[in-house]
Amino acid sequence: MPAEANGEAGVVAPAPEPATEGPKGAAVKRSGRATVEAFLAKYGVVLAFLLTVAVFCIARPHTFATGNNAKSILTVAAPSLVMACGLTVVLVMQDFDLSFGAMIGLADGAAITLMATHGWNWEIALVVALLLGIAAGALNGYLISYLGGPSFIITLAMGTVLTGVEFALTSQDTIFSGVPAAYAKIGQGTFLGFSNMIWIAAVIAALLWVMLDRTELGRYMYAIGGNPEAARLAGIRTKFLRLLGFVAVGLAAAVVGILISSQSAAYSPSPGTSYLLPAFAAAFLGSAVFRPGEFNIPGTILGVLFLGVIQTGLTMLNLETYVINLVQGAILISAVLVSRLGQRVA
Amino acid sequence: MSTPISLVTEGLTKQYPGVRALDDVDVEIHGGHVLGLLGKNGAGKSTLIKVLAGAVAPDAGRIILDGEPVEISHPHEATQLGIAVVHQELIDVPNLSVAENVELGLGYPKSAAVLVNRRALRRKTAEALDLLDAGISPAAMVGDLGPAQRRLVMIARGLAVEARVLILDEPTASLTDTEIEHLHGVVRKLQARGVAVVYVTHRLDEVFQVTDTVTVMRDGEVVHRGPTAELTQESLIGQITGNAVVADEKRQSTVPPVGPGAEELLRVEGIGLDGVVENVSFSVHRGDMLGIAGLVGSGRTELTRLIYGADRPTAGRILAAGKEVRIRTPRDALRAGIVLLPEDRKGQGNITDFSVRKNITLPRLRAHRAHRWLPMPRRGDERRYARSLIDRVGIKVADEEAPVKNLSGGNQQKVMLAKWLDSDAEVFIFDEPTHGVDVEGKEETYKLMEALAKAGKGVIFISSEFSELVGTCNRVLVMREGRLVGELQAEAISDAALVERCYAA
Repeated sequence: MPAEANGEAGVVAPAPEPATEGPKGAAVKRSGRATVEAFLAKYGVVLAFLLTVAVFCIARPHTFATGNNAKSILTVAAPSLVMACGLTVVLVMQDFDLSFGAMIGLADGAAITLMATHGWNWEIALVVALLLGIAAGALNGYLISYLGGPSFIITLAMGTVLTGVEFALTSQDTIFSGVPAAYAKIGQGTFLGFSNMIWIAAVIAALLWVMLDRTELGRYMYAIGGNPEAARLAGIRTKFLRLLGFVAVGLAAAVVGILISSQSAAYSPSPGTSYLLPAFAAAFLGSAVFRPGEFNIPGTILGVLFLGVIQTGLTMLNLETYVINLVQGAILISAVLVSRLGQRVA
Repeated sequence: MSTPISLVTEGLTKQYPGVRALDDVDVEIHGGHVLGLLGKNGAGKSTLIKVLAGAVAPDAGRIILDGEPVEISHPHEATQLGIAVVHQELIDVPNLSVAENVELGLGYPKSAAVLVNRRALRRKTAEALDLLDAGISPAAMVGDLGPAQRRLVMIARGLAVEARVLILDEPTASLTDTEIEHLHGVVRKLQARGVAVVYVTHRLDEVFQVTDTVTVMRDGEVVHRGPTAELTQESLIGQITGNAVVADEKRQSTVPPVGPGAEELLRVEGIGLDGVVENVSFSVHRGDMLGIAGLVGSGRTELTRLIYGADRPTAGRILAAGKEVRIRTPRDALRAGIVLLPEDRKGQGNITDFSVRKNITLPRLRAHRAHRWLPMPRRGDERRYARSLIDRVGIKVADEEAPVKNLSGGNQQKVMLAKWLDSDAEVFIFDEPTHGVDVEGKEETYKLMEALAKAGKGVIFISSEFSELVGTCNRVLVMREGRLVGELQAEAISDAALVERCYAA
């Protein structure tokens, strides 16, 4: 510290300093505590995430704390990330979609069957898979938004219907030959050292982030989630935007179907069911962070990564399955509670 | 019921922040008599009812039942004393049966100690319903009944608790003529059984049909008490409005009547919605400040929702700037240059979780685009705009990023105003814009509306507070039971004239 600065401070705060110290200190302390609480409310899940990562790094420095492991976690998490981000769009508008597991299966099954069984070009099969996802999402949206069906039950039923379509197309046969190498390369290939799947997921997540956070469309979607009637009276096309949300889910599901089928270059019946719960878990975990109480893409991304880290880390600890279940649940609950606690006090 | 009940209040007083809701109120209610309790909105009738029902504790005064002072500090105690209220809003459970509603919370008859004995329950309810000639099955679902029948179910509930004092708060507000006649028959039957009936209504014809005595309230005070037979419709209107009230402090409208050549901005022809709004026609001209007066439930809000496309009309057409427009959604209305500021600001006006900024910029978010072709709003631009409107409208808020839910009711109202103020719409519909706004805020709101009219827009101003229409409008339409029943111009607009048209049979 230069002497000049010291001298100046001395001039500004002379004799009464001891007298004011008490209340001043208390005020600082109080606002300091409020700041901590506000910080926990917003970033509690981030802290929990970092803490979890640190614990795993210390426990398994040679397997967990490696670049390869990080890449592997990201690659495994990529399809989940696409799905969870797509799901976030409907959740923002207070809608639900339980049919995307089936949509993943439909896109996966359709693409593989068309190529392996019917000998279609992989490009055409890919486009058909994407269009199926869009169509299924649009149908969900039409039934829910325009005809007024409750999204929970409509998408649940739609999931059953779509699984039926998937089985009709594939005859429920497992298919592991006849998938063109070019198609398999989508999921198996790498770019700049990272799996293509990571790049695709990152681009989709980034696009949806910008869409929800920075565009008129995103603002309108949050407005619908906040108060649909007020949004409608403000001239927002609430029905169309809700439909669009379901289309986003359908499209995301189709992308996931393509990613996982190309990575395995195979089809086995109902491949999408295992994505249902993690996507919801990630999105809800994400709604407790960054913009607490609101679903948001950065939160969803963190949620997906968190789940991926827990899964991989616990597996590496060679724990028994029941312990993995207990610890996984406990970590998620505490992560959300940390932010809730901050929110409630703040 | 050997001796007729008597319920007397002495000096009841209730002070709310800024309002003396009850000021030394003495009321007498006797068994076998029907008392008409009258007064404008906000005269203190509801507060009085709430005190008698044990929902509100008075600051001073006492209640004497059959000569004994009683404390009614909880609704349950009112029920035990035999006082039952049938509220204006139907408070029932639509997905339960009539019998389950009538006996709700009174202890259903049981079999085997825990199972509800439905047969006994229905039998018990059937007695009450028969007495009312209701023609309703105790097993029917309340949600399947019409408003008149649901009202009767609530009255049956009053009978089930063996009420000796039955307070009916605007029981006929949504009923048809035949239903009203039936209800009057029920009231007379109860009267013959020695029940004391308090009948609150805004319909003066009813007062003369069913009541024996009337008590008129104004600004929290009882201003008249006496036999109905001694009154005429005119003298009653005089008592309700208080003709003698000094007029010199009253606000004067600064919006001049529009000339004969003024351009027509909006024309509504024969618009209707089955059973709610019937065959309404009017037009709004450039520079108009058009009031729509009417009591709650007269169809004013419903009318504006039809014009704005929030609901679909079943009849009629709308012309904007001389051309017929198809308005099926609020979006269509906005495109036709019509804006609505709804009455229910929490439910319809604002997105309360959003910040003040996001609410203000919501309807015209495109104005803040970073580039004409890029649908991404610039936050800095939004902030500056929001701040300028916070100043112009006088919203009391620390900064534009505060969530609207943290604001007071009046300030939330102003946020709604702010978001439409710069709209390039031609017609602005304000539905109860001063509801919950303090005196100062009211004056600011009037000035903003008048400024719009003077700038050549057309303003429609809906209010149940007639004095504010008198003080601001150059033309006032009166609605009653879904129809337009009168139009007043400039000098002819007065409180008394509005009241007469709103209440007259």
